[in-house]
Parts: sequence; structure tokens; C-alpha cells
Amino acid sequence: MNFLFSFIVLAEIFAIVAISTNLLMGVVGIFSVAQAAIMGCGAYAYAVLAAAGVPFVPAMGGAMMIAASVNMLTALPSLRLAGDYFVITSFGTQLVATAVFINWVVFTGGAAGLPGIPVAEIFGISFVTAGEFLWISSVALGLVALSFWSLLRSPYGKLLHAIRLDEIAVAASGRKVLRAKIGVSLVSGAYAGCGGALYAAYISFIDPVSFDIHVSVLVITMVVIGGARTLAGSILGPFLLLAIPQVLTLLELSSTQVGPVRQLIYGLILIVCVVWRPQGLAGRSL
Amino acid sequence: MTMLFLHLVVDGIVTGCAIGLVAATFAYFYSTSGTFHVAHAGVYTFCGYVAWYCTTWGIPFVPSLLIAMGVGALLGVIIQGLLYARLAQIKASPLVMLIGSIGVLTVLQNLAAIFFTPNIIQFEFPWRIANVELGPIFLSVPQLLILILCPLLYVALLLFSSYTALGRQIRAVASNPELAQITHLRPRRMFIYAIAISSAMVAVPGVLVGIDQAMQPYTSLIILLTAVVAVIAGGIGSLTGAFFMSIALSTIQSVSVLLVSGRWSLAVVFVIFIVFILVRPEGLVKRKFSREL
Repeated sequence: MNFLFSFIVLAEIFAIVAISTNLLMGVVGIFSVAQAAIMGCGAYAYAVLAAAGVPFVPAMGGAMMIAASVNMLTALPSLRLAGDYFVITSFGTQLVATAVFINWVVFTGGAAGLPGIPVAEIFGISFVTAGEFLWISSVALGLVALSFWSLLRSPYGKLLHAIRLDEIAVAASGRKVLRAKIGVSLVSGAYAGCGGALYAAYISFIDPVSFDIHVSVLVITMVVIGGARTLAGSILGPFLLLAIPQVLTLLELSSTQVGPVRQLIYGLILIVCVVWRPQGLAGRSL
Repeated sequence: MTMLFLHLVVDGIVTGCAIGLVAATFAYFYSTSGTFHVAHAGVYTFCGYVAWYCTTWGIPFVPSLLIAMGVGALLGVIIQGLLYARLAQIKASPLVMLIGSIGVLTVLQNLAAIFFTPNIIQFEFPWRIANVELGPIFLSVPQLLILILCPLLYVALLLFSSYTALGRQIRAVASNPELAQITHLRPRRMFIYAIAISSAMVAVPGVLVGIDQAMQPYTSLIILLTAVVAVIAGGIGSLTGAFFMSIALSTIQSVSVLLVSGRWSLAVVFVIFIVFILVRPEGLVKRKFSREL
């Protein structure tokens, strides 16, 4: 039972990060391979704040704010340019963030990671086991999903859709494209930071490998297989993809092969989806 | 101090020549087809492993390198023929193309890890660590090979593009696909030639850097990042800009060790990139026929 709960908690955390990626990639059409890095910023910020004695909710808020600002600041130089610049910026952000996580030892504990992150505690109730933490992750996912859903249906969401479909037309009709994109990168960064903070609080240990480029590719795969622009897609994707490692344990691979085989499957899923099913399982076409 | 500086500069130039060829070939295919071919890094890695695998069977260096180039060309043709061409047919957006390319990159890296090994490997050549003395500087034999072969191939690519019939046809397709199609140049076939050429060429730095240092399946992304930054900073579509910008970037990266710790050398490249896109997003060399991004 505990195993199942643990799986659901992780899937819910990744669903939050997938929604964050979906907002950027699916809704506005900005491709980013730096979502794991932003998630990592949230996780490390939460870990440092929590270790300093800040309670769960403010620490979480702080982590979301930091992740949002990092996402916005790294995106800012390239947002006013065309898509390919942003791709490179996000690649760079991801690689540099991993370098920072490894080398800024004072805050991040270096490659060895940060162990012993305090347990989440709200109003004196502590959430230690997977079953207990499930409450927090479910509420968080619910809130993020609700805000994503209402964002897409607001006039602002319509503007975002319009930017994806025809950026020049939107600019020509007097809307501020850059401002909208900055807003989106803030919201998306806050979501990813929320996911990262939950991850840190739940696992109570974080290291640079938890937020490297492979994780970013994993999150993109989640969004692609789930489908763009729908909540169902962003929730379905993480549940499906996080089940793959569990299935692989049945295959008796040697320990050095497990990681590459898992990655290989993600890569194949990406290729198959873009060729035969660009709308994913429960979404719209990218 | 001056000796150290000199050595760092030489090191930077050697690495820059290798990355320069990656950048020039990336730019070549990008300006021809408009595909942001991230999987180029996967081809680079995979070819290195192919050559390594050949040498474990006792095949000498030169045939191994040629086999790796052949495999590279084949991989390129497969990627273009089975993926990019299909995606172009269903009118996929650049974003979808890019996701497909990342999928291919992931597949290639992990195939290398599964078929060969995910661990760091080194070539077993006795001449790998032999030194050549050129005045005050020492170069290892693989470094010398990089320094000779990569610029040579870059020049060959330039000559091919400007002076051969096929090279001109590819350029014609690059600058105006519709017009080229009317004149019976089939763009799709030209894209296949372009990717085959650039993938075969990228095998060379893939193998040589692998011999010089060591190989790991996942490190090529850092090389690709530097290469693509060079492509953008050198002016998109300009092979010369890409090649020389790579050398400049690598030299700066190498010399930056004097000022900041080597662990941050990647960040140095990234900062240069940010400065470039803020100040001069069109790159150093502005092209007349630049492809719309």
C-alpha cells in the first residue's frame, strides 16, 4: 500500500511540473528543456529555507517565488527573439543550473546532495509517510490544476492561445506579446518550483542528478505522450511514464542497463508520438 | 605564467577546431533545411563509440574512422528520411520537429550506452598519449590530428558548397526551396545529401575528441551547446562565422580558467551567449540570405 501511495505522490508531483511545461510548450508554444532546472531551484530553495527553520507553507511560497524569478530572468533575454534562441537558452539554463547545483557547495551540498530536509509540518501535524504526504501533494495538484484550468479559460488564456497561433497578428492588434510571455514564464516557474519544493519535502533528500537534463526530457515526454493543452494529458503522462521503471524491474536488466533502457524508451515515445500521435493520448496537437 | 597562458590558448584552439567542425556542419544542415538538428550531438557520440568498437576488434585507426564516418552518414540519412521528411510532410511545426530531434538524440545516446557501455571508455592506441613538440608547445598526437583534420574538413565543406555542382544545388535549395523545386532540384533529396555530408563530417571530431580525452554517452550536449552558441554568435547560416566563433569561444573558455574556476567554464560560454542575444542577436557576420528563424 505504501508503495502505491509513494508512486501516486511522485506522479502527482511530476504532474505539477508537467502542467508547468504544458503551459509553456503546449499553450504558448515556447519550448523549454530547463523545467527540471527550475524545479531544482524550487527544491533547493525549499531545502535551504526549511533547514533554516521556516515553516512549510512560507518555505513553499519562497521556493515558488525563487523558481518563478529564475525562470523569468533566464527567459527574459531570449523571449523577445524567435523560438530557436529560446531553445538554446533553455539548454544552457539547464546545463548551467546543473553546474551550479554541483559546484555551489555551501547551499547545495555539491554532488553528494542535501540530506535530512525537515519533514513537512502544517499546524502541528507532520506529514511523514507516503499516505500522509498524499494529502499535501493532492491538494497542491488540485490547486495547480484549478489555476491552470481557469487560466486557460480567462481572457489572458485566450491571449496566450492567440500568441501560439499567430504571434505577429497578436502584436499587430496591439496586445503586449512580451508582457504576456513574461507572465507565463513566471506562472510556469512558480508551478515548477512548487513541484520541486514538494519533491524535496517528500523525499527529504535532493541531489543534482534529481534535476538534470534527463529529468527535463522526462517531463517533456510526459507532456508529449499525455497531450498538449489539457489537464488530463498532463496528469495522465506522469502516471504512465513513472510506471515504466516499475515495469522494467520485471525485466531483470543489469543495474548499469536500467537507466539507459528507461531513457531509450522515453526517446522512442517522443519519436513515435511526434510522427503518429502529435495530440498524445488525451490532448490536442502540439 | 605566459607559458600557462600559451598552453591554455593552444588547448582552446584545439578544442575549438573540433567544436568548430560540429558547429559548421550543424549550421550547414540548419541553413539548408531549417531543421534544428539537436540529434547531431547524438550522431557525434554514436560515431565515436562505433570507432571505439571497431578498434576493439583490432581494426586500425584510419579504417575505423572511415567506418565511423560511414555510419554517421547512414544515421543522418535514416534520421532525415524516416523522421524529418515525414514530419515535414505532415507540416509539423518547428517545435514538433525539435521534440522529434530530442527523441532521436536520447535514443542515440542510450543506444551507445546499451550496446557499448555507459561508463567512461578510452581508446587503446599506444600513440594516444605520445607528444609532439612544436617549439615551446607540446601537443598530443590526437590533438595534432584535430588541429589538422578539422580545419581541413571545414575548408573542404566550404569548397564543396561553393564549387561543386551538388554543393551549389544544395545551396540553391537552401536559399529558395520553391524556385529550386520548379527547376527540378528535389529539395528532399538535397536535404538527404546535406545531412549525410554533415553527419559523416561530425564523426571526425566525435572520434578524435574521444581518442584525445575519453568518451561518455551523455557529454556531447555540452559540445553541442558551445557549437550552437557559436552558430548563433557567428551569424546563422555562415559556416565561417560558426567555425571561427567556435575557436574564439573555446579559447575564451580555456583561458577563463585563469580567472574563474574551471567548473564554471560552461557558464562563461552561456554568459557570452546571453550578451550576444542582448546586444547583437543577428550574430557577428550578417548574412544577405539569412533564413528566417
